[in-house]
Amino acid sequence: MNAWIAISPLLLLVVGGLLTMLVDAFSKEGKGEVATVTAATLFLAAGVSFAALLNGQDPQDVPEIFGAYLATDRLGLFFDVAIGLGGGLSALLAGGYLREHGLERGEFYILLLFSAFGAMVLARSTDMLTLFVGLETMSIGVYALAGFRRGSPRSIESALKYYLLGSFAAAILLFGAALIYAGTAHTDFAGIGAAVEGGHADVKLVLFGLLLVLVGLAFKVSAVPFHMWTPDVYEGAPTPATTFMSVVVKAAAFAVFVRVVITAFGDEMSSSSAGGWPPVLAGLAVVTMVYGNLAAIAQNSVKRMLAYSSIAHAGYILVGLAASSVVGQRAISAVLFYLMAYTVSNVLAFGSLILMGSRGREAVSFDDLAGVGRRHPLAALPFIIAVLTLMGFPPTAGFIGKYYVFSSAVEAGGGFIWLAVLGVLASAVGAYYYLRILVAMFMKDPIPGEPVAVPMRSGSVVAALVISGLAVMQMGLMPGDMLDLAVAAAEQLFAG
Amino acid sequence: MDITLGTFLALGAILFGIGAIGFLVRRNVLVQLMSIELMLNAVNVVLVAVNRYHPENQAGQLFAFFVIAVAAAEAAVGLAIVIGLYRLKKSVASSDADQMRH
Repeated sequence: MNAWIAISPLLLLVVGGLLTMLVDAFSKEGKGEVATVTAATLFLAAGVSFAALLNGQDPQDVPEIFGAYLATDRLGLFFDVAIGLGGGLSALLAGGYLREHGLERGEFYILLLFSAFGAMVLARSTDMLTLFVGLETMSIGVYALAGFRRGSPRSIESALKYYLLGSFAAAILLFGAALIYAGTAHTDFAGIGAAVEGGHADVKLVLFGLLLVLVGLAFKVSAVPFHMWTPDVYEGAPTPATTFMSVVVKAAAFAVFVRVVITAFGDEMSSSSAGGWPPVLAGLAVVTMVYGNLAAIAQNSVKRMLAYSSIAHAGYILVGLAASSVVGQRAISAVLFYLMAYTVSNVLAFGSLILMGSRGREAVSFDDLAGVGRRHPLAALPFIIAVLTLMGFPPTAGFIGKYYVFSSAVEAGGGFIWLAVLGVLASAVGAYYYLRILVAMFMKDPIPGEPVAVPMRSGSVVAALVISGLAVMQMGLMPGDMLDLAVAAAEQLFAG
Repeated sequence: MDITLGTFLALGAILFGIGAIGFLVRRNVLVQLMSIELMLNAVNVVLVAVNRYHPENQAGQLFAFFVIAVAAAEAAVGLAIVIGLYRLKKSVASSDADQMRH
């Protein structure tokens, strides 16, 4: 396989993005075809990457580096699948949601597509330069998506908060990258790794720079204490935009997180349990899991609860990332599988919430969902699966993901075992607030006088729910296929 | 006084610090945008200075151009969001965007 095939998902998104702009310009009524083209482009990119992963049995077939800036490895392809799938499903959800709520404008899909392109660049970056450019390409699109409902103060507030904190975090990350450059004279991850390992680096500058880079990335994955923007931004943004940022942005940020800690700082000093990044990540994981789960309990809005839930999930992933300092390959493959499982699970959850609302009556709070399960059992079915997989209940993708991440932490031994124990306890707390959705849907009656939730009718939302629901069950019942791909991707990362 | 790399790093750190403090204490979104620009320019100072001392390749210079270009794109979206805020609230204070609370 040559390098052009390996970066074909990126090229596909660029061509698809330009095509979408043309289709948008020529479509008169409705934007159904724009949504279709966008979703098709993203699914095609995911499919091409998936086929490339399945066919390239020998990791040697895939060239390591495309130029010095973009990786063309299995890890990149794996995240192309996650980003293409997450983005495509978000586009399908948007197709139903925007029409139902009278927001139908073609820009949404174009921004989403180019933002997904930035996410893929970010996930493949092997240099601080591509990291920065990818991060900004992704983020700038998402800032605009968050403020898409221009007439709504909440949507603008959401965009403003995301924009201000996002660009502040990007500046911090960039200053960290500049300090690492000052300490090692390299901006590429491999060069940084070689300089640090060879002892040619100014250790103090590099470690301080690494700390700033980790802070910047922690903002993007919304780890506590850098999460303050998350609930407000997730609540105020249009729900398909929230879906996109909770799956695609998080997956891409974790992808580059993996590359930074493994490729650039995988040396013995930076990855020792006494100093360097593992204790920092373990500390972040602890506070993120505890705070995310506890804060989620107190929420009245389902959207806000899902925001805190996504913070908690970032904590579980950080457990795996911290454990990768001891059982590298094992932990990274668990993290990859978890991210894929989280992507489809979260799309399913937000998609179910979208399905529950119709024009003028968007379902947001637990009260909005009261009794809807008894009146519309079929529409409630995806929510049931979403609740189970987010809780980590077998036989769903969420269960297998949690199992792999926590068992890799146990394998790492030492203090990581306590991280795993805490993670299991935190997910037990999580069961409470996820089950509240089911209680509201099946055991509560609507409050008299309040509007009663009526599920919307939309083929594209149903299609997104069917795809993500099937993926959740497939990865739960037959996790082997996806896990093999994750293991192969992690193997190649450590070999290279 | 000898001008060394350390001098440039100190200048960069001071500029970055002023920008960060400005961002955190001011409530006018436009001033916050300017503070972010100051932080990004502090980064540029460091990048270009380091390149002077490691002239094997032009990574730092190149990086600085990318930072300038991306900062412009970011500012464009930021100003659009500020206009959106002003239309609804007749104010450009970030403290007026307070409908959602924890």
